[in-house]
Amino acid sequence: MKKKTLNSLELLDYQPNRYPFLMIDYVTKVIPGKMANGYKNFTNNEWFFPIHFSGHPNVPGALQLEALAQMLTIAITTLPGNKGKVTHAISHTVKFKREILPGEKLEIETKVLSWKRGLCKGLGKGIVDGEIACEAEMTITIPEILDQYIPKKK
Amino acid sequence: MKNKLIDKYDKIFMKSFKVKKEKLKKLKYESVPQWDSVGHMSMIGLLEEVFNITLEMDDIIDFSSYEYGKKILKKYKIKI
Repeated sequence: MKKKTLNSLELLDYQPNRYPFLMIDYVTKVIPGKMANGYKNFTNNEWFFPIHFSGHPNVPGALQLEALAQMLTIAITTLPGNKGKVTHAISHTVKFKREILPGEKLEIETKVLSWKRGLCKGLGKGIVDGEIACEAEMTITIPEILDQYIPKKK
Repeated sequence: MKNKLIDKYDKIFMKSFKVKKEKLKKLKYESVPQWDSVGHMSMIGLLEEVFNITLEMDDIIDFSSYEYGKKILKKYKIKI
């Protein structure tokens, strides 16, 4: 993959999630196997604001984490041979530091710590208005690759 | 030298799968919850790092027990 940015349509080739679960809008920079940065704009039109919560809308923590994981996925699925492959979460440790409100933009920065044989360990950071809103240590996998390396049941 | 290698080998399994030394001899893939597909890859990664080797794909698949792993490592001149 030569291109270093992915717009909202292009990123769909590298990220299998779709509405209402696509949590990234734009990839501003990707270095396959190393890092991916981008953002998600949260408008009043988001499906979850009326229910989380009525009278005090804010972005659910689970979806903030999902945004970080989806961006980390881009750093892996842009590697040769991985385009279009499905990824799964294995384990995530996350800290939430600030509410994200309607109208705010979540800047997402992710970094790959290791990628080998279908298993990726990485870090992600969500920033709003220069403040860290959430950060996570994540392990994700491409099961199609990982499964090729595990002992066969006898 | 040999004793040091076995200590390193044992530590990898004890650390990866949270098991005590006395349980190692019977340790096999999926015999403890921690030795699942993800645990397997983490353990293999640690073996490669500690012994400075790169395991071939077939050896990673065959590495299905603590004891059999010793035989596989002989191929890489790691005699435990």
